This record gives sequence, C-alpha cells and structure tokens, in this order.
Amino acid sequence: MPWGEIGAVLAVLVIVFVVGHAWFHIVEGALGLLKRLFFRKKEPPAWHPLPPEQEEGGSREE
Amino acid sequence: MGIFGKLFSKEPEIDMAKSDANRGKMRALFNQVVENGDSYKLVFGFTEDVSRFNYGLVHGSKSKIGNLIVGWNEENETIVVVPTVPDLSGCGDPAYYRRSEILKAYRNKYPTDAFIIYPDRKGYIGINIYDWLEDESLYVYVSQDQEVKEFTDFFMNRYKTK
Repeated sequence: MPWGEIGAVLAVLVIVFVVGHAWFHIVEGALGLLKRLFFRKKEPPAWHPLPPEQEEGGSREE
Repeated sequence: MGIFGKLFSKEPEIDMAKSDANRGKMRALFNQVVENGDSYKLVFGFTEDVSRFNYGLVHGSKSKIGNLIVGWNEENETIVVVPTVPDLSGCGDPAYYRRSEILKAYRNKYPTDAFIIYPDRKGYIGINIYDWLEDESLYVYVSQDQEVKEFTDFFMNRYKTK
C-alpha cells in the first residue's frame, strides 16, 4: 500500500476519533443541561468539613 | 530487603505516616457525624457506579467512584456508611444499615467481590474494600489489611443474611 493511502486511512481514523469525541461532549453537555433544568430545586446533600485541629494534626504528621 | 531487592522490587512502598494520618482523619470525620462513633470499627471502602452509553457514533462506559468511611458495630450488628472524598476534607450524612432492618446482605462473587446491602426493595449499596489503593486522586490513601480481615469476618459470619 503506498504511503499516500496509509496516510489517508490514518487521517480518516483521526477524523472519526475527533468527531466521536466532539459528539460525546455535545450529548453529555445537552444531558447535563437538561438535568440541571429539571432537578435544580433539589437540595444539595449536607456536608461536614474536617475539624480544623484534625486537619492541622494530619498535615503535621505528613 | 537488600539493595538489589529494592532496586528490582516492583511493589510500591506504602507511606505509613500518610496512611496513619488519614486513619485519624477518617475517625475524626466519622465521630463528628455518628453518635457514639468510637463504638464502631472503621474501614475505607468505595462504591463504583458504572453506566453504559451508546450515542450512535460513540459508545462506551463511564464509572463514578464514591469514597466511603464504613463503620461497623459487632454488638449492634450495624454498618454505618459515611460518604467522603479522597483527601478527607469533609463528609456527608451517615446511612445506617441495621441487620434487623435491612432486606438482605451478601457478598458478591462477580464481577467484583463487593459487599452488597439491600436496605429495602428500592435500592442497594455495593461496598468494595481493599487492603490498599495507590491512586490518591481516586481513593483514600490508607493501608488497612487488619481492618479488611475483621470487616470481612464480621460481614460473613455475623451480618450477611444468606
């Protein structure tokens, strides 16, 4: 197979790869947007930060 | 281990100081949100949520890792699960799984040997527990051989329902 044809096949594969990735991110973005629109009233889960003295103790040990 | 053993050894060495510091943080977080937290033994675990997608041109799978501080009390036959993050900067609210209240609990065989708990018919939690996981960006850095053995023994002999 001549080098030109090998290059063309590789170029097609690269294009398929790039378009695939772009398509994936477009669909994921659209799904994320829809989820945010429909579930934005949902309360965020409670979060308890690490007590400061423990944080200092942990970094001292490191 | 001699100098050649160290040179050719492929096993990564565990930073025990870091592991011990994280063990302390796990205890502090757990005791902060769980009443009488010191009566629970602790082990680090994680959930893995794998979702498959097929967008026509592209298909594959995505996996989400959730870090957990898992506490168990042998007397009360209770497992408490507290969600956290790999750097242990905080944690969420605890979920209690009392053996007398759950629907069923068993150890999975395939695809992973996760500990499965069904609190009711609506959902379940699959807890994966390992001695040590190197990737600090995804998992809590803690070496816990003994805790894994003790938790496995408790789950298999005292907690599982079938």
